[in-house]
Amino acid sequence: MEYVSPEGLRLDGRRPLEMRQINAEIGVVVKADGSAVFEMGNTKVIAAVYGPREVQNRSQQLSDQALVRCEYSMANFSTGDRLRRPKGDRRSSEISLVIRQTMEACILTHLMPRSQIDIYVQVLQADGGTRSACINAATLALADAGIPMRDLITSCSAGYLVNTPLLDLNYVEDSAGGPDLTVGILAKMDKVTLLQMDAKLPMHIFEKVMQVAMEGCRAVAQYIREVLLENTKELEYRRGL
Amino acid sequence: MEGKSEELEGEMEVEAYRRLFPLQFYERHLSDSVRPDARPLNKARPTSIVPAPLPSADASAMVKIGNTTMLSGIKLEIMFPSSDSPDEGCIAIDFHMPPICSPMVRPGRPAEAAPVISQQLNNVIMSSKLIDLKELSIASGKAAWMVYLEIYCLDADGALFDAALLSAVAAIAHLEIPPVCLNEEGRVVSSQGQAETNTDNNGNTNNSNTEKRKLTLGSIPFSLTCLLHKQYLLVDPTDEEESIMPSLLTVVLDTSGHLISLYKPGGPVLAYTSTTKNCVALATRRVKELEKILKEALSEMDVIEN
Repeated sequence: MEYVSPEGLRLDGRRPLEMRQINAEIGVVVKADGSAVFEMGNTKVIAAVYGPREVQNRSQQLSDQALVRCEYSMANFSTGDRLRRPKGDRRSSEISLVIRQTMEACILTHLMPRSQIDIYVQVLQADGGTRSACINAATLALADAGIPMRDLITSCSAGYLVNTPLLDLNYVEDSAGGPDLTVGILAKMDKVTLLQMDAKLPMHIFEKVMQVAMEGCRAVAQYIREVLLENTKELEYRRGL
Repeated sequence: MEGKSEELEGEMEVEAYRRLFPLQFYERHLSDSVRPDARPLNKARPTSIVPAPLPSADASAMVKIGNTTMLSGIKLEIMFPSSDSPDEGCIAIDFHMPPICSPMVRPGRPAEAAPVISQQLNNVIMSSKLIDLKELSIASGKAAWMVYLEIYCLDADGALFDAALLSAVAAIAHLEIPPVCLNEEGRVVSSQGQAETNTDNNGNTNNSNTEKRKLTLGSIPFSLTCLLHKQYLLVDPTDEEESIMPSLLTVVLDTSGHLISLYKPGGPVLAYTSTTKNCVALATRRVKELEKILKEALSEMDVIEN
């Protein structure tokens, strides 16, 4: 399979450094304190945040900061073949942990002691980059819930196939067996909070791929800021300000 | 200045009253035949169906009744038909309430309502004979379609069963079975664009299918949930209403006016015959509304595809 054609086009017609179409919407789940839907190409993810609220399990209560919990699950119809174990399997547990620790890094938990913040992420359609889409959706949902954060966390994936760094891999490119790098950054401070990669890469190529992924993250951050600004303007308008 | 602070005070009191004495708050509204969201007692919330929100599923539909949101998706798989019904396929219906839908649902504590509604949906869809299982057969005794219908609640704000049933029905109505046939090695392959008549080794004619086909549906079931409280009948309750007035009655009718299911799972209020009859009458009206909405959504889906 020709992942990058001689003219420099990928399987879905994108250029190597081109991201998929992103689309985000806030406030989709009325019952939740904050919620968002985030789409990256065909990957569609919905995140809902409940909190700060009372800790469910008293023994886990932290006296000086908020407890952050996260659950990641995939809908049975989200992937090509029907999923048999949408949650509770190792991959879901690992991604839940990753999202939790990533978001914990930016939530100002010391402002809400003895409380619990729940982040639930549900993948509705999976086409590569679900981890990144989940983190982006979680950021938006936390912002929608009004939970104080240090910065926006955005995430993007990148890979290296046919000697070309590729930004934002879809499922087919991801399963090609090349390296797959996921980066999560604090947008304004430009600091890396999440970095995961599988497969072997020489150092100089890794730096290139890392730069590509960071650029992707910055682009996502730009879009998220626009969406949040639009949302605030609408809230102002509704309040009559 | 003074007037404004009084106004705010008045507002605060109403909200506090609503939280502290919900039943009295509602009864004050019910005596005027209206509900806090200004709906009359016999009016349902605005209902909408979003056609095919998930292109990767074989069929999907999203339904919103007020704030209650249900997303259903269908995935098709090939299966070996059972020996006592060799030319029938199978449908597996499952209803999930992930933690995003409600603050009451937490990862360690699944919602009580989820398996109940799952079972209800199974009963209604199977007993209404919406789908003829024989249409799901590929080759008698050898291969058949397994339809996995999963319904996810994305926002739980009352009348969950109504929304779930509508979204399940919308997804099934939109489902297109891909054309397949059994080849010589006994594997199922796509037969798009092949010649029509197709007989296998045993002389059994396979379902002549060269292009995607929709299922022929029997009469479609629609449901309406009502709350019973003293002498009042509230149609299409919200989550708040359901939590303070727990007696509910669900009526499922199909488009030809037959009663498919009547469900009243206990509750402190008893349903007299007159109440039940009223419910059925309200449900009949609602069926017409829902039929229209479903038809519009399906024609929209066809427009999108063509």
